[in-house]
This record gives sequence, structure tokens and C-alpha cells, in this order.
Amino acid sequence: MGSVTVPWADTAAVLLAKLGFPVGPVDAKWDSIIFLVRLPRVLGAALIGAALAVSGAVMQGLLRNPMADPGIIGVSAGAGFGAVLALSFGFAAQAVWSLPLFASLGSLTATAIIFVLSIRRGAVGLFTLLLAGLAVSTFFAAGTSLVLTFASRDNIAQFLFWAMGNLAGVRWESLALVVVPIAVGLALLLVFGRELNVLLLGELEARSLGLNVFAVRMALLVLVSVTTASAVCISGPIGFIGLIVPHILRLLLGPDHRLLLPASALGGACFLVACDLVARLVLANQEVNVGIVTALLGAPYFVFVLVRSEKRESGL
Amino acid sequence: MTPDHAVEAADLRCDLGGHEILRGVDLHTDLGEIVGLIGPNGAGKSTLLKCLGGLLPARGRVLLQGRPLDQMNVREVARAAALMPQNTSLVYPFPAEQVVMLGRYPHQGRFRAESAEDRRVVDQAMRFTDTRRLAGQLLDTLSGGERQRVFLAKALAQDTRVLLLDEPSASLDFSYQEQIFRYARDLAAQGRAVVAAIHDLRLAARFCTRIVLLSQGRVVAEGPPARVLTPDHLADAYGVKVRVYPNAVTGELDYHLEDGSAGAGRHVHVIGGGGSAAPVLRLLAPLGYLVTAGVLSPGDTDLQVSQAFGILTVTCPPFGPITDEAFEENQLLAVDADLTIVCNLVVGRNNLANLEAARRARRLVVLEDDEFSGRDFTGGPAAELYAALKLRATVLKTDELAGWLARSGELVPRLSIRR
Repeated sequence: MGSVTVPWADTAAVLLAKLGFPVGPVDAKWDSIIFLVRLPRVLGAALIGAALAVSGAVMQGLLRNPMADPGIIGVSAGAGFGAVLALSFGFAAQAVWSLPLFASLGSLTATAIIFVLSIRRGAVGLFTLLLAGLAVSTFFAAGTSLVLTFASRDNIAQFLFWAMGNLAGVRWESLALVVVPIAVGLALLLVFGRELNVLLLGELEARSLGLNVFAVRMALLVLVSVTTASAVCISGPIGFIGLIVPHILRLLLGPDHRLLLPASALGGACFLVACDLVARLVLANQEVNVGIVTALLGAPYFVFVLVRSEKRESGL
Repeated sequence: MTPDHAVEAADLRCDLGGHEILRGVDLHTDLGEIVGLIGPNGAGKSTLLKCLGGLLPARGRVLLQGRPLDQMNVREVARAAALMPQNTSLVYPFPAEQVVMLGRYPHQGRFRAESAEDRRVVDQAMRFTDTRRLAGQLLDTLSGGERQRVFLAKALAQDTRVLLLDEPSASLDFSYQEQIFRYARDLAAQGRAVVAAIHDLRLAARFCTRIVLLSQGRVVAEGPPARVLTPDHLADAYGVKVRVYPNAVTGELDYHLEDGSAGAGRHVHVIGGGGSAAPVLRLLAPLGYLVTAGVLSPGDTDLQVSQAFGILTVTCPPFGPITDEAFEENQLLAVDADLTIVCNLVVGRNNLANLEAARRARRLVVLEDDEFSGRDFTGGPAAELYAALKLRATVLKTDELAGWLARSGELVPRLSIRR
């Protein structure tokens, strides 16, 4: 489905042919639409959706805060700064991979600064992490604005398009850059379910249960930053997936991370693929950025959860 | 060779935020014991427990069943000692059974599912704490007592010989407070070593085999409850006057806190009987007055209360008239007292001398909750005497006494302002 309608039979034929099945001749037009445009985009959406949702679930467990998302450790702001540099200095025009590369470098730099600030005497101060995350994110956002001040109109438009989050630019080339870090990051995050459950008890209790809190927190933060940075560098920051997908699944399945993490991977993948579909179809001749779709769905839900949790706390 | 203690600490020191919290603590606990850590807020009870569990950096030595703590990794420590902290929350609503299962963490491999052994130990822990039937319920829907039992089960699921309980009864109803300690007592009887920080001295006295009294990061006293819970030790540690006495009803150690400052040793003599003096004695004694009472007989609540407070009391045998000797003594105290209080007592021929004694009081308060005529069984002489007393007395109801004392300056120490 998309602005050009490819018949179902042809879609199936293209896919089967690529998998090596002898389905006879395939129309080259369909082949290029399906294989060069749609397939990488759907796979990218699934991968990015899974990465963001799992990272969100991990952050919410790690910080013991249902409102946490990967953006807290500066991933988005850093990626934005990297992206704007790549665009303004013209690297992005020269090579497809330069924007993702700069974006991921930017987000890893921001995250690294936040980590360094929040590690004190062999412990990760979660409160400091939150505040340092805020400060560093603001700093990088200001840097982004500064660069944009001197940027050309074209670059500003390109940046805005990227910053709203979209999957239109996902091609095999860009996907190839990130598939390994995302897949490895996801796989490693998924085995930390039990540790995340124990961490929910709080630092003291987790340690009294024999959990090396510092090592586990560091491992999780590094994995989340690599996974998320890899995801947002090709799609731009896509809001709210990391927040609402784990939330909905926690309501449905309970908070046990051994179940929540794989479910978030699956749920995040499906959610972003679906949102991307909406983004492509909702307007006839114009694509809406998928970040807009997820935010339009996510923001009201965020408020809903907020209001409900406040009501519960005040005993209403 | 003597067997190793289950827990042993020597010269344990711990600094937190630039403050010396523990300043050289020695402590040991054997299997089968419940050792209670008591002491005022900030004495270091919680810190000590955390140091014993290897959760805070400390200097000095801690041994768990003979093994030095600093040579064990976190997992080994978690299999040797389980800590039940003061308050735990899980942020997200977990069912009780999963919470208990978290206690199995130090026994589980990363890629292994829960083993039959895990499930067996969890089941046993939940049976023991009577939480089996709560298994599927979400933690945040449980009552305080149930939650605490679930967390105790979680600590038990850790399957350790040493249990460290940090004020396990704090914020619980009194029936649940005892329950938690009964579990702890049973666990000790099963051959575990329990160390518990306890703020309630009565519970400590009742359930602990030994008590360690901490004050300002040091051990002030250590031993069986009766040896540690003495007025001197408690005054030392808590900086207040405390009376310790066997409770007349339960026979267990009980204590009563005195304010001590207000009365400043002023002498108040209380004339009562038949339970009329008890509320007055309870009010005055803790305020630091030098209280005396008379004439009371064995079997009277008033006498029990006065004895509990260690109040000097004139007594005489029950069911007979007040002896001359007792009358003289009673009158002497009334004459000496800065204030004499005649309680809302019933008067018959046997205790008429109590009113008589009050006549020579320097300053007099008569408590009259109901008409005297209803309490007069003498048929005349008492009414006359009572009327005479009332003429020169301040007449109050019993529950007005506290307010009157405060207003009239009787609560102000003798050495201030008044001439």
C-alpha cells in the first residue's frame, strides 16, 4: 500500500522472487517499488520501532520512572546536533551515510558526557543522570539552533524534515549501517529482564540481592544509547514510541520485564510500521512525517496516563 | 576451636556524608538468636544493619559465618545474609509471588528459567509467612501487614542463614507488629540468626534473646533485655528519664517515659483510692513532679499505678480503717507538699481519715467529677469535712487538672520568676 498501488499478487511475487522462489518473471516497475523503496522502509520501521520501544521500557525500569524515555540520556538532542552539522557543512550532500554517521556520533557524544557527569565513586546517580541529561540536551539543542542560524534555507528545511522523524529516507544503504548495532543491542537488552525486575526494588535492595547495580546500570545505559542512537540516526527522533508502547504493554501484560521487553520489541515494531503506513496514506499526494503521527497518538495518551496516575495518588 | 558466629563485627566504623555514623561497633550473633538493635534516631541502627549486609562501605571487620565480608562477592553475600529494608516499593504493580521470586535472584543463572528448587523455596517462604493465598494479588492492593509479610517471604526466599531486619514493624498496626516478630522468633528457632533494628522497646524486650543498645554510633550496653533496658542505660542513650518495670498484667518488661522538665521536682501529694487517683498519678508522674500518694490499699488500681511509677505511697491493709500510723504519714506528706490533690474518691468510715489528712495541706485542689453526696457513705461527718476543704480549695474536674496546672504556673519550675 502507498501512493502507488501495487497489486497484492505482484507484491507477493516480488518478495518470493527475492527469496529465490521460482515465480516466473516479475514486472520490473513493481520490483523496484517493492524492493528498493517499500521493503527497506518497512524493515527499517520495524527495527527502529523495536529499538525505541525496548529502550523506553529499559529506561522506565532503570530509572523507576514511568515517564522516562531514551531521550533523557541526550540521544535525540545529540543526534540533532550531529545531523545539523552534517547538513550545514555539506557532508550529507556528498554521501548518504554521512548524516546517520554524524547523528549517531552526536548522540553518543551527548550520552557519554551525561554518563561522565553522573558517575560518582563507582555509582550511577540516577537523579544526577536526569538533571545532567536535561542540561546536556538543552546545551546540544542550543548548539543545533546556533548552527541553524547560519544555515541555508535548504539546509534548514532538510533539518526540520529530519527532526520531525520520518522513514522516507530509509534505504538498504542506510539500513545496512545500523542493522548490526540495533540487532545486537536489542538482543543484549532482552536478556536483562530479570535484572530490571530486581532494579525496580531500588538500589539498596538490588545490591542486597547480589546484583552489581553499577555494572548493570552502565551496561543498560550503554546498550540503550547505542541502540537508540543507531535508530534515530536514520529516521530522526521519533517521539513517544519509547514512552507509550511499553506503557500499553505494561497495562496489558504486567510489569515483568522478562515478558515486557520482548513484547515491547514486537509491539514497537508493529506500532511504527502501522504509524508509517498511516503517514503514507493519510494525505493523498503528500506524506506526513511519521514522527507527527506517533506524537499525535502519543501525546494524548501521555496526558491520559499522567492524569490517571495523579488521580490514583490522590486517592480519587 | 569455638564455632564461628553467624555474624560478627569488630571495630566497625562507617562515615556517611562526612558524618561518623558508626564509631567502632563490636557485635556478634549466633544461629538461633534474635538480636535487637535499639537506640534513638540517628544512633546508627540502620547503618549497622547495612554494613553487616555489605551494603555500605565500612572500616573494621565483618564476618558472615566466619568468612570476611570483604573477601566475598556481592552474590556470595546475598546468599549469606538477606536484608529486609524499612520500606520497599516496586513502582509498578507486581503480583506478590513474583516479588517473593525476586528473592531467588542470587541463586539464579542468567539464562536459566526458574528452577524447581526456586519454586519450592518460594512456596515454602510464602507458606511460612501465610502469604500463599495472596500469591496472585498485586502488591499495591495489599494491606501494610500483608506487604510486610510478602517482603519477609522475599527475604526468606533468599535462603540465607542470616536475616537482617530494618524496623520490620515500623508503620504497622500493633497486632501486625507482634506478628512479624513472632515469625522472626520462629525463624531463629529454626536455626537462623536474626538481627533486627527495633524502635519499640517493649517488642525488643519481648522477642529478643539479646539487645544491643546503640547511641551515637557506639554500643552503650549489650546483653539480655532485662540487663540492657535499665533506666540508667536508657537515660544514657535517649537522654530522657525512663521508668522500667514489669507490667502488672503481662509480667513483661514495660517502660514509661518521663518529661521530667515541667514539674522540676515540686512536691505534689495525691489523696485518693478506689481508682480515683490513677489518672492523676499518670498525669503527674511523667511530668517530673515529686509525687507522693496516700492512703492506698493493696488490690487498688491506684496502688498499682503508683508502684509502676515508683511513687512513694502510704499504704494500709484493705477492708479496715486507716491506721493511725498511716494517717500521720499521709498528713505529714500533705503538709510538706507544694500542692495536695484530693481526688474524686468515695468516702466511708474506713477512709474518712483521708479527708482529715488534707485539712493541713498548704495548697489544695479538690477534684469533683460528680456530687460528693453520691460518694459519701459516712452519713454526715464526711460531708462537713468535705465542705470545709472545698472552702479553701480550688475545685476542678479531673480532666481539667492538666490545663489548670499549666495555667496556674504550677508546671513552671520553682526557681523561676515566682519570688
